[in-house]
Amino acid sequence: MLVKKALFITLLQLACTKAVFSETQKITIEIKNHLFYPSEVIVPAEKKIKLIIDNQDKTPEEFESYELNREKVILGKRKGIVFIGPLDPGEYPFFGEFHPETALGKIIVHQEKP
Amino acid sequence: MILSSVVIILGEVLEFTILTSIFLALSFHLKIPRRWIIYGVTFGCLGATSYALSFDMVSQWFEGFGQEVINATIQTSIYICLLLFCSIIFINRKNTVAVKYLKWLMIASVSLALTREGSEIFLYLSGVLASEQFVMPVLTGSALGAGIGLSFGILIYYIFINTPSRKSLLVGYALFIFISAGMLSQGVRLLIQIDWLPAQKVVWDTSSWLDESSVVGRLSYTILGYEATPTLIEIQFYITAIAGVIIATALSSYYANKTTSGN
Repeated sequence: MLVKKALFITLLQLACTKAVFSETQKITIEIKNHLFYPSEVIVPAEKKIKLIIDNQDKTPEEFESYELNREKVILGKRKGIVFIGPLDPGEYPFFGEFHPETALGKIIVHQEKP
Repeated sequence: MILSSVVIILGEVLEFTILTSIFLALSFHLKIPRRWIIYGVTFGCLGATSYALSFDMVSQWFEGFGQEVINATIQTSIYICLLLFCSIIFINRKNTVAVKYLKWLMIASVSLALTREGSEIFLYLSGVLASEQFVMPVLTGSALGAGIGLSFGILIYYIFINTPSRKSLLVGYALFIFISAGMLSQGVRLLIQIDWLPAQKVVWDTSSWLDESSVVGRLSYTILGYEATPTLIEIQFYITAIAGVIIATALSSYYANKTTSGN
């Protein structure tokens, strides 16, 4: 019974997300010489965002963020997609795990004006 | 450069060494020959190398989400192996057939963990070697990281070995419940990342209390599946995962007792 209920809630949640899928905003972040361009990305609050990470270096990089709970390895000269949000206003740092000294950036979430 | 490679390699090997050391110690207590580790490591190394070498192709599967799908599948498979392992660990003494299954479940768990973590180490090191920059500091740091991870595993192993069997089995069982739930939540997080599971608002934020990037935070992440900012669906899966292991254990003990008393 409990399992059925949990499954139902999960399916309901899935249905709800598909409905708002169409308004997903896309943002591209490039990696060059182990640096993120742009290193600061401003996004609206409470919205789902599609991040396209374009690794222009020859070497692999891992896009990682503890605050966003995201990690993805992107090979050299390849692109990777990571969805983030809906987020509360604030700053969410991210870094390249393979080059954490230089590859640093943050997502800045702003409250949308009504 | 040295420090960051220590951190990255340590982070990658920790899950594998903790899992392996508990398995080896439990094998000792259950009187299962520990030769299975050779198979586990061999399969794991082969898996890691082939995954890393085909990473470009795999990444492009499922419209660019192959990496997440495969990793989530690996994490879920480890969860299932640990669930089955936990469910038969206590009936083992009454049932010699269980030993064979325990051995294969340990081989599967260890080789799957090594495949996932080893492939990332492979990609990281191949990138460094290809760039021909900082090769020595990175290799030194990596060796240090692996050494620390391994020492930690050896420490856990000897703590378990020097604990009475019954207590060891109970502690191992309890740890596996949390490790397995953590594995499943990691898989869930990967599916949220590619929008296969719904992205939701964070339910609570304990990062000011225990930061995930700190040493204790990383350890809690590996052993307890600690997540500072979980969403509702992650919490649901975490609780379901724990309940799953306990229910499986109860069911298997019930049937084992029934069969024994039936004979």
